[in-house]
Amino acid sequence: MRLLVTGSAIRGLPVVTIDGGEDVAEVRDLIYSPEAGRVVGLTLNKRGFLAGRRREVLTAENIHAIGSDAVMVDDEASLMLPAAVSAEVGDPPSGRDVTGNEVLTEQGKRLGKVKDVVVLVGSDGEVVGYEIETESGGTGYIPLPSQLAVSGSALVVPDPTQDFVESDLVGLGAAVDEFRSRLGMP
Amino acid sequence: MSERFIAAVGRKFVSRTSAEELGALTHAAVDVKKRQVTSLVTGKGRKAALVDWDQVSGFGPDAVMVADESALHAPRDDHESAAVDGKLELIGKRVLSDMGEDLGEASDFVFDPATGAVETLVVGEKEVPATSLLGAGSYAVVVKASG
Repeated sequence: MRLLVTGSAIRGLPVVTIDGGEDVAEVRDLIYSPEAGRVVGLTLNKRGFLAGRRREVLTAENIHAIGSDAVMVDDEASLMLPAAVSAEVGDPPSGRDVTGNEVLTEQGKRLGKVKDVVVLVGSDGEVVGYEIETESGGTGYIPLPSQLAVSGSALVVPDPTQDFVESDLVGLGAAVDEFRSRLGMP
Repeated sequence: MSERFIAAVGRKFVSRTSAEELGALTHAAVDVKKRQVTSLVTGKGRKAALVDWDQVSGFGPDAVMVADESALHAPRDDHESAAVDGKLELIGKRVLSDMGEDLGEASDFVFDPATGAVETLVVGEKEVPATSLLGAGSYAVVVKASG
């Protein structure tokens, strides 16, 4: 059983220092690498209603944990200017937004369209699945292998994925390990 | 014998030399990293004064004994001003685990009245050992996630 959170639930979370107990920023958006299957960084806003953007970004290496109530960092020095971090985070390539992408199995069955990423709670940004709009128009959750083929408009998932379309995050949390062991993943 | 801080709020400060009552306990300033009560606060607002923990000669069940009135002093810096305003108080603060989970609000803490050592933080029904305390600030007290 794993606790999971969607990307949209991470947006707006406070970024809190472990050392100082201060809310130094809040999450503006996730920088997601579909190839790596993980969140590589976060863009930030200042704290407070309509307080505006913070120039600094938070790389995954500097994330202590993404939780259900806060993103924890060691201290304020964990927030770095875009020029000081890798281009993947500081100047991410465009066209990596997977939202709206078609999800196809290797056999060519369409499972739906990507709505959001699903992140492992307590991790530094490990994406374990996607929230999708299913063919019937409902919301479903699918587990992901660690690597997958992405084209910019579609992504191809292993065939067993179709047996693991869950109706909620709790179901996906329970299914992730079984799915990965079925694929022979760690 | 450990003591809960909430139970001690309102306890009078008494001068050992004059036996005069000098005020009543309102807040405590705690150094989370040292897991230690660093000073006690009497009074509120402009009348607030601090007693450094090493000036307390006895934290008893009925009174907090200090040598004399000179043990009480006004805030000397921003840190102490924050302390007398209760801003360094652990009680009432949000408690976050280092895994980013909101554990609830700190309702009390348990300390050793002989040494001022903080032993546990009370969060709802649970007590978090002081050894799990990682940091504290205006937003939250951060504790190590259990398990």
